[in-house]
Amino acid sequence: MNKILIVEDDGVLCEELSILLQNSGYQTETIADFGQVLAQMKQSDADLILLDITLPGVNGEVLLQEYRKEKDTPVIMLTSRTGEIDEVLSMSYGADDYITKPYHPAILLLRISAVLRRGAKTGAVISYHDIRVHTARGSLSAGEREEMLTKNEMLIFRVLLDRQGEIVSRDELMTALWDNDEYLNDNALSVNISRLRAKLASLGLPDAIETRKKQGYLLQ
Amino acid sequence: MTIRDYLWDRRAGYGTLAAALSLSLLFLAAFRTAAAAMWLLSGIFLISVTLHSIWDYTRKKAYYNRVLTSLKDLDQKFLLPEMLPEPLFYEGTLLGQVLSECCKSMTEHVAEHRRQNREFREYIELWVHEVKIPVASLQLMVHNLADPSEKMSVQLRRIDDDIEQVLYYARAENAEKDYLIQETPLQKIFGSTAVKNREALQMAGAQLETAGLEARVLTDAKWMEFILGQLLDNSLKYRSPDRPLQIRVWAEEQKDGVSLHYRDNGIGIPAEDLPYIFEKTFTGSNGRLANRSTGMGLYLVKNLCRRLEHRIEAVSAPGEYAEFTIVFSRNTLFGE
Repeated sequence: MNKILIVEDDGVLCEELSILLQNSGYQTETIADFGQVLAQMKQSDADLILLDITLPGVNGEVLLQEYRKEKDTPVIMLTSRTGEIDEVLSMSYGADDYITKPYHPAILLLRISAVLRRGAKTGAVISYHDIRVHTARGSLSAGEREEMLTKNEMLIFRVLLDRQGEIVSRDELMTALWDNDEYLNDNALSVNISRLRAKLASLGLPDAIETRKKQGYLLQ
Repeated sequence: MTIRDYLWDRRAGYGTLAAALSLSLLFLAAFRTAAAAMWLLSGIFLISVTLHSIWDYTRKKAYYNRVLTSLKDLDQKFLLPEMLPEPLFYEGTLLGQVLSECCKSMTEHVAEHRRQNREFREYIELWVHEVKIPVASLQLMVHNLADPSEKMSVQLRRIDDDIEQVLYYARAENAEKDYLIQETPLQKIFGSTAVKNREALQMAGAQLETAGLEARVLTDAKWMEFILGQLLDNSLKYRSPDRPLQIRVWAEEQKDGVSLHYRDNGIGIPAEDLPYIFEKTFTGSNGRLANRSTGMGLYLVKNLCRRLEHRIEAVSAPGEYAEFTIVFSRNTLFGE
């Protein structure tokens, strides 16, 4: 389970972020004393840090610059300032991504899993049970059998796989698709899911994707 | 300044001089002065008056003509006192003093208003950033509910959009350059606008089609996202009740740049309204149909486009479609 450190000085916002991340299967940690943010950041064993750009008494960008001298844990900047300059700056200070307030929860989750995936060891073959995932070729294989997936099916499968064992809402799947310039509607998503199910079934995993009513989907 | 104006202006003076001469001649005649002496006296008098007038006319004409040419050439007329030539006569000095006094007072006034304006704008920006925190919290709260309400999320998005509009209004109205022009693929800009508005678009059953958006343009991505967001918002507001909403967005390479076309199949814009849609607070007959039309959206769109130096045009067939075209000029400075 990935652990995320939330560095946000607004108490309510910080708590809601915690709940959101916990509901999505992450462990969370928050900052208790903003007098020693840097020390707490360095002590933390989190896999990812959400860092607000405007903190009491200290600038998030400067903080990140200091932090980067010692550690390279991925950092996503949270900002309410929409100025491009800020983004460019936070990028050059070593942030891995940024997201502006108010956060679109599904987009935030998407960015987090993308950054975590990027941080994970690259080159490792992705597999699911006995199935090997060939992202570049856009196919799944089990032994001799190979099933080609469409771009949309692969996107859906990757999101489910990243969060294996967790419920992924339709909202999140939809956001992931739209974020990849696939402007699907509700029906099309259902069609893609059932096609993906059929392909997984032909590879010997008929019940891999479970439907949770009103909540979303879960990859066993 | 013509010689006629000059003479006419001094008619009272010349009248007095003429009366004085006539009276003097009358007295001289009464004292039986020789006619030759009177002729001589009149001659001297007339010659000196004429010479004086010519000298005075020339220097004043020279001065005022330079003042008038400067005034005509000046882009900002209030800078005139800086451009005044050194006058060779007292009235000129006086005029210079008066003008520079006026100018100084006006400059102080303008500076004061500028400062107030800047402070107000800074406050607005600060406020926008402050108010976004509770909006963000609410958005997360709604999402974290056991039974998340899509309807609430859409309303929160609306609040956020309106807040964003305030921010861009503050930016569009001010001369400060707070945008950053970078080469960006149109896909990236349209993509994030679409994702942000996904719920509202899906609730409306909208169908999006894109083509050629891999084209790269020189623009400020944030501003452009706001612009496209306004267009999307309008498509949602003014969709036709008879058919599902369709939005087509495509880009075309042109010889002087890239044109981005945005077309929806909504109710369109009446021909008589079309010339005014980009005007501030113009709502038109469509605006009266929709319950929330401020007449600010397209005004801001136009204004931001102008500041980014993009050209924007609209065409429409009422009842069929509305199409907006934004032309991004090529970077002529660095070539291809």
